Amino acid sequence: MALTQVSSNKCCDGYQKVFEHDSSELKCKMKFAIYLPPKAESSKCPVLYWLSGLTCTEQNFITKAASQQAASEHGIIIVAPDTSPRGCNIEGEDESWDFGTGAGFYVNATQEPWKTNYRMYSYVTEELPRLINSNFPADPEKMSISGHSMGGHGALICALKNPGKYKSVSAFAPICNPIQCAWGQKAFSGYLGPDKSTWELYDATVLAESYSGPELDILIDQGRDDQFLSSSQLLPDNLIAACSKKKIPVVFRLQQGYDHSYYFIFSFINDHIKHHAKYLNA
Amino acid sequence: MDVFEVRGRLDVIAEELASEEEEEEATDEDVFEQGSSDVSTHTQQMKVSTDSLTPDRASAVCDAALCFQEQLNKRRSKLSQKIVEMENFASNLEEIFITVEENFGRQEQNLEQHYNEVLQTLLQRNEARAAALDEQKNSKLECLYGQLLRCGQTLDASKELIESAQELHRRPDKHGFLQAVMPVMKRVEQFAGEEVDLKLGVSLDFQVLTPDLSEVRQMMESINVLPAPSAPVMNPQIANSATDTSLHVCWSLFSDDTVEFYELYWRLISDDCTMETPQEVSQLKVKETHCTVSSLRPNAQYELWVTATNTTGISPASERAVYMTVPSPPVLKPRQCVSSLNAALIRWDSGNTDPVESYTLEFGETGTDGSGTESIVAIPSCECLLQLQPQKIYILHVRAVNIGGPSDRSEPVHISTTGTFFHLLEDTAHPSLSLSADGLTMFYLDEDLPISHMTFSDNTFNRCVAVLGDLVPVRGQYYWEVEVDEDAEFRVGVAYEDTQRNSHLGGNNTSWCMRHILTPSRHKYEFLHSGWTPDIRITVQPLRIGVFLDYSRGILSFYNAALRQHLYTFSCHFLHYVQPCFALDNPGALTLRTGMTAPAYITP
Repeated sequence: MALTQVSSNKCCDGYQKVFEHDSSELKCKMKFAIYLPPKAESSKCPVLYWLSGLTCTEQNFITKAASQQAASEHGIIIVAPDTSPRGCNIEGEDESWDFGTGAGFYVNATQEPWKTNYRMYSYVTEELPRLINSNFPADPEKMSISGHSMGGHGALICALKNPGKYKSVSAFAPICNPIQCAWGQKAFSGYLGPDKSTWELYDATVLAESYSGPELDILIDQGRDDQFLSSSQLLPDNLIAACSKKKIPVVFRLQQGYDHSYYFIFSFINDHIKHHAKYLNA
Repeated sequence: MDVFEVRGRLDVIAEELASEEEEEEATDEDVFEQGSSDVSTHTQQMKVSTDSLTPDRASAVCDAALCFQEQLNKRRSKLSQKIVEMENFASNLEEIFITVEENFGRQEQNLEQHYNEVLQTLLQRNEARAAALDEQKNSKLECLYGQLLRCGQTLDASKELIESAQELHRRPDKHGFLQAVMPVMKRVEQFAGEEVDLKLGVSLDFQVLTPDLSEVRQMMESINVLPAPSAPVMNPQIANSATDTSLHVCWSLFSDDTVEFYELYWRLISDDCTMETPQEVSQLKVKETHCTVSSLRPNAQYELWVTATNTTGISPASERAVYMTVPSPPVLKPRQCVSSLNAALIRWDSGNTDPVESYTLEFGETGTDGSGTESIVAIPSCECLLQLQPQKIYILHVRAVNIGGPSDRSEPVHISTTGTFFHLLEDTAHPSLSLSADGLTMFYLDEDLPISHMTFSDNTFNRCVAVLGDLVPVRGQYYWEVEVDEDAEFRVGVAYEDTQRNSHLGGNNTSWCMRHILTPSRHKYEFLHSGWTPDIRITVQPLRIGVFLDYSRGILSFYNAALRQHLYTFSCHFLHYVQPCFALDNPGALTLRTGMTAPAYITP
């Protein structure tokens, strides 16, 4: 697969690059951002996949979260893909900000007209890692995943659906129980159809209740003053209850005064990268 | 030294030497014979087999040569030993000779002095007598002279009279003559009537006084009599000669007096002002100029003095010397000792009621047989902070030291530098807490102890059922684990040593802790400092909590040690040293696990 470099900026002694390629899963051109730490010049590095939230592209995280410093220090490659296929000219894809473009929800759609292009789950869990491993000095055995909001939901489900694939997982203000919140219900009914049992395959809380696999160590940060928390879009209590029941180790931190923005991510990204580094560099 | 003694010793030495020589000769002969027979057999063998010198024969010859060499060496060393002995004997004899010479010299001097004194006395007596006689002579002469003068005067008077009578007789004037003759005739008659004393006024004999020579006689007699000895001199205490119950006392005689025996006196010097009467004096009769006094008290000062006695009498007492017994050994307190990877704080009890000068700490790695023992001396108090090597086990002893010397070693204590070691400090524990025998588990029993049974002190927690641990006072890294029961409501963390004992852990700004609260619906976790906690949910209940403290980075972290899961980290710059703290908010138990270093996932 041919990669075209779109941009490259030196940052914290490493390089923040953006590439474009033709995606076989999504059947369109896709961009992704990749940060290569200084260590990558001489040896293979572990990879942290970052999944962004609603309305984001591959740019938001790399320009607003200031993750490069910690990535450079811990020697971790950070890959940040886009949040949905682009330019597919599907009718209605730009109608809402929380469905269609910029709102892929990291599922493999089964419904028309989405099912051809909207296969973000396979893109993130299969195509992208293959691409990264063959084009960059990445250690294929050392992968972790994280994300914000919809991306947090994406990170959680990728980890829960693929036991052992990711060494660690973390999330910022994730959508924990999509089948119970407005966002999730809208997206899943559009991408997956009316059968709610198909929705459960992409719900972190449901997946946690039936998880069996190697032990996870989940770190979740949630701003207390997050408007979406108070509007019941995120529902972390449900996830916590399920994980408590199934003894899945989670540390959930409710951060006083913080909202849903990138300022919140910026404030705690170092803790998350350190959390991942513990497992990726072990 | 007595000449007879000397001779006796010489005889003994000679005998010993003779018998030794005989023995040696006998054994030497045997060995030599054997050796030589060996050699001869070997040489025979050698001769036989020079043609075909197989390796076996060659080695046999080598063996024989070695054997012979050994024997030569043995005899050589025996001879050199004998030489040494002879040399010692010769120098011994020299010493004896010199001593005898010295003694005779002194005796000579002594006698000379005595006789000089006697002579002086005699001279004095002589002079006195001469003076007396002189006096007598003078007085007699005076008397006689006086007599002579009077005779002279009488002669002159009678001459005058005769001349005047003659003149009168020659006067032609008969009338005048008759007038003058009667008084003159009366005068002459008177004069002639006077009796002339012609006796000598003094006797011609001299009175010879017998001088008082009794003193001289006494002095002559005392020359052959020994003087009473002069006072001996107490030696100062020799370093390391005392034990905790005995003193090795020495004194010297600086005159050449003969002494039959000494009497040593001693008395305990007591600082106790309540004792009105002085301690009783003990005494001991001793022949040598040294003595070991036993059954004394440790770490005590004794006043000692000595008198010397011979047939003439007892010397005056010597000056009093003060000796001190060595202290009792201290008692190490293993429960109060703490260690980390590269340091340890050792504490002990003095072991003596009175103060001692200092302490000495001796330590070495176990298994080195004392070859690598280090000592730290002049420790002023009952604790010591040591720098040590990591990953080792040390064995330590401590001694108490006073001017008498060091005490015996205390019972040892073993210190490990394989991680953070400490125990729960019983004297800080809330009375409702009981600690296990090994000081690592605390129990909050489900009993309602009456208030009267609870003994609080300034150091115990009195609201929070808490207890403190201890750490080496070094700003390094420390790690320990706490094991809890599922339903234990606990607080674990660190606190400043002076954290308020009437407050709850985490509720003030001198303590930081992780707290577990059990509600009917779930487990609740708090990370408390100054009464504030972040809002954190934990889904898997940690039953083994790892606590990591790093002074230089200013962090206190908590982990679910079983899952290696990080729970929370306080960032704080600790102003003082902190101590681990533990509390139970409801009846239950909590066990401390120490001796580990921080696992790799904590300190990459």
